[in-house]
This record gives sequence, C-alpha cells and structure tokens, in this order.
Amino acid sequence: MIDALAAEWLKLRTLRSTSVVFGVVAVVVALMALLAWYAVHLWEGLPPDQRDRLEVSSLPELANWLASLCLAVLGVLAFSGEYGTGMIRTTFTVLPSRGRVLAAKAAVVAVVAFCTGLAAVLATYAAGRLIIGDRPIQGQSAETLSRQMPLFLALSLSIAMFALLGLCLAAITRSPVAAVAALVAVWYVLPIIVNNIPAPWNERIGSILPGALAGQLAGTGNPQSLGGALLSPLAALAAMAAWVAVPYAVAAVLLARRDV
Amino acid sequence: MIEVRELTKRYGRTVAVDGLTFHVKPGRVTGFLGPNGAGKSTTMRVILGLDRPASGEALVNGRRYDRIRHPMREVGALLDAGAVQGGRTPLGHLSWMARANRIGIARVVSAIEQVGLAGVARKRVGGFSLGMRQRLGIAAALLGDPAVLLLDEPVNGLDPDGVRWIRELLRGLAAEGRTVLLSSHLMSEMELTADHLVIIGRGRLIADTPMRELTAVRDVLVRSSRAGDLAGALSAAGGTVAAEDDGGLSVRGLDPEEIGDLAARHAIPLHEVTPRGVSLEETYMRLTGGGADR
Repeated sequence: MIDALAAEWLKLRTLRSTSVVFGVVAVVVALMALLAWYAVHLWEGLPPDQRDRLEVSSLPELANWLASLCLAVLGVLAFSGEYGTGMIRTTFTVLPSRGRVLAAKAAVVAVVAFCTGLAAVLATYAAGRLIIGDRPIQGQSAETLSRQMPLFLALSLSIAMFALLGLCLAAITRSPVAAVAALVAVWYVLPIIVNNIPAPWNERIGSILPGALAGQLAGTGNPQSLGGALLSPLAALAAMAAWVAVPYAVAAVLLARRDV
Repeated sequence: MIEVRELTKRYGRTVAVDGLTFHVKPGRVTGFLGPNGAGKSTTMRVILGLDRPASGEALVNGRRYDRIRHPMREVGALLDAGAVQGGRTPLGHLSWMARANRIGIARVVSAIEQVGLAGVARKRVGGFSLGMRQRLGIAAALLGDPAVLLLDEPVNGLDPDGVRWIRELLRGLAAEGRTVLLSSHLMSEMELTADHLVIIGRGRLIADTPMRELTAVRDVLVRSSRAGDLAGALSAAGGTVAAEDDGGLSVRGLDPEEIGDLAARHAIPLHEVTPRGVSLEETYMRLTGGGADR
C-alpha cells in the first residue's frame, strides 16, 4: 500500500492539471483579497449610519466554496485523465490490485485537497484581516484565528469530501465530462433546487447537502448559504462520511468488475 | 513461461477469444499472429489481468498476473504506446512505475538510456513521435528486468533503425533465457525476429509451431539444357517433377544434393539448382484464409 501511495503521489505531482488547479486556487485567494479591498472601499464611502447595511459574505467561506469545486475537479482528473489516454491500463498492469489503486488515489487526493483547502482558507482569512483591519463590516467575523479554527478545519474537510466525490464519480463514469457535470449538479444546482421546495423539506434536505455540512460540523450553522442547519456536528460528520463512502463503495465494486 | 488454458472471452454476444490454449516458453521469441479482430490484444489483456475471462485462465510463471506482488519485476508489457498522459516526462512516467514496484531510480535512468531517450528524459511526452513513445513503452516494459515480456505491436511507428534495434533487443533477451511474446502485423519482420509462432483466427488457435516449419523448403527449381532427360531421371529416383512455364522444373521429394549427384551420374548438365522456400506471409495467408475476419 505504501508503494501504491508513493506512486500515486508521484503521479499526481507530475500531472500538469495539478499545477493548473493550484493556480486557479491561488487566483481565487487573490480575488478574495480584491473583494476585501472593494468592501473596504465601499464601506469607507458610506456615511457612518448606513455602514451597517453593507453586508459582505464571509470571505473564507466563499473561498472554500470556490476551492471545493477546483479540488473536486482535481479529484476527477486524477482518474478520468487516465481513462482518457488509456493510461489506466498501464496503471493496472503496474499495480494490479484495483482496490489498492483506488484507495491510494483517494488518500493522496484527500490529503492534497485538505491541505490546499486549509491553505486557501487561511490565506483568505489573513488577507481579509490585513485589508479590512478592525472595520466592523457585516458578515466578516472579527473573531480570533483560534476561535475560527474549528470552522476552517471543517471547511477544509468539506473540500476533501468534494475532492473524493469527484474522484469516485470519475471512477464510476470514466468520463471527465459526466463526472464534472454530476459534481456541479451536487455543488451548485441541487442546493438551488432544494431551496425552492416547500418547507420544511427545503431545510431538511438542505441540511444534508454536501455544501451545508462544514458549517454544521463546526457548529456555526449556515447563516449565508442556501443549506439548512438541522444536524448536530456529529451528524454532519456522518453525512460527510456518507457522501464519500457511498460513491467510494460503488466505484470500488465497478472497478473490480469491469474490464479496463 | 506464459500458459493460456481454454481461454474464452466474450464482449456482449461477440466471442473474442474462444477456448484458446497455448504456451509461451522461455528462451525464444514467440510471435503472436492473427488478422485484425482475431483476439490477440484481448488475449494479452487477459494475461495482464486487465480483462476478466468468461472461462479458462492465463498464468504467468504459474500464477495469475494480479496475484503477483511486484508484477513489473516479473512481467514487462507494452500494450499501447499512446497510453501516456502528454504532460508527463519519460523520467516522471517511469518514476512512478518504479516506485510502485520498488525498483530503484538508477534503473529508471538506465532504462531510459537503454532505449535511447536520454536526451529527452525531461521533455514532455506530448511532443513525442510514435516511435519515441514506442521506445518509452519498451523502457517501461524493461524497467523491472523481467523474465517475461509481452509486446503488442512494438515496431509500429519505428524507423528502420528502430525496427532493427528492437529485433536485436528481443532476440538478445530471448537468448538470455527470457520468455518473449510479440505480436505484429509485419510478416517479414516477424519472420526475422520470431523462433516460434502462435497463429490465431476468430479467437481460436490455428497454429502453434516453430517458425522453420512454416517457412520450410517447398521445392527445388532445376534448369538444364536436357530438361526432358533430367525429368525422367528425377522421376525414376522418386522425385515429383512438374514443368514450369519458363522451361524450369519444379522438383519435390529430392533435395539439391541428390539432384546434383543424379545429374552427374547421368552426365546431364545443370544450369540452376535453387531450393525455394515459402514465405511466412504465404503460409499465414493460407492458414488464416487471407484478410481480416471482421
């Protein structure tokens, strides 16, 4: 298993799309800094009694939301890139245990996604603090880093979940287009649809959507997102695990059964 | 040693391989021949554990491929030279394989040198010609210094130098006692490289035979100013003689030495004595009924 892990790590590191994804995540962080600067600019331009009416989304959470799609795409590419070129045959002749290949890819992708996500969230937080300073802009938490860390860790965990979801969808569909389409559906389209179904089902279903889980896990709820917030932290963690475990199990069974 | 036993593989209702049995023995190059769609690539994929057979089995060194712990150290395979992501470099591509099979990085470098890609070891594969990709695929096959090699169409896209290089490489590997299974469409190349042939058609075994039996001497062409007398003498000695359109005689059943001695005894002058073989291509066409199956 160590050999498979090391091989998949080498493979992911030398994949061109990996650096592209990292580049996009860096751009996301830069955009967040720009957004912070723009918010400050707007806030300063308002008369003091109207400043409370300006509300800006929590920048680390926004960064997380965008980064989760980027790293989910990385998860997709970690598998579908090999199906597209036929390299998957080479992979399975080099490492004949398909379960081990899936496990190794999942471990590598999860760790990379978690670390990248945490770095993006922390960088966004730092940039936001630097630019906004102590201006009390609505939506921007003035909490210390140590108070915010549980949320940031939960956000990074949710990025890892999205990346694994992408990886498993790619293993199941074998097509980057189908996998990314399914991902975007879960990431963006589904929350909008769920938000529009009648209460109380919008909140019930909204609470178990993957994008709504990080806030519930950290116990901060989802004040700005479309998702609900009915789950306890433990239940949110279980839901996160299920969003990974179910596609993973399907992928493992299909990989073992199918010809390559 | 590769053993294919009663192997059957279906894709939906199409039978790709149908009860195929053959052995590939060490110490010689075994050519794997058959028309397009005969099941060669399918058989190779089953041997490598990529496709699951409907029934039967394929064993490498007595084990199923997917039971081998570090397969690259026992079996080297080249299936599709195009199957490399274009963004990778030869060094990067071989490094992860080596890591997966606990092969040292020094071996990666020497394999790259062995196939003549040292100058482009850090260039992206995307810009490579088919010939260079074939060389990279061969480097991957040789990486683990395996005793068994499976190569599907390795000479595709290689220039004449490359074709010759791979012929000598494979013959050398077989001479070291390794098992080499080689598929190719190029009959003349196969005739020069392989010692033994496995020919399949429609997923079934057509021939499993030494090369020399397929390309054996067919007849001896004899010319003489007294062709009539010679024909009589040869027939009397037990040969089967047929006149050719240009006045020559096609003789079967007697070898050139016997024909020469006989002519001398009868004082018949000989102008030409040429043993004529069958090319592998002719035999192959006869055995497979010519052309592709599907």
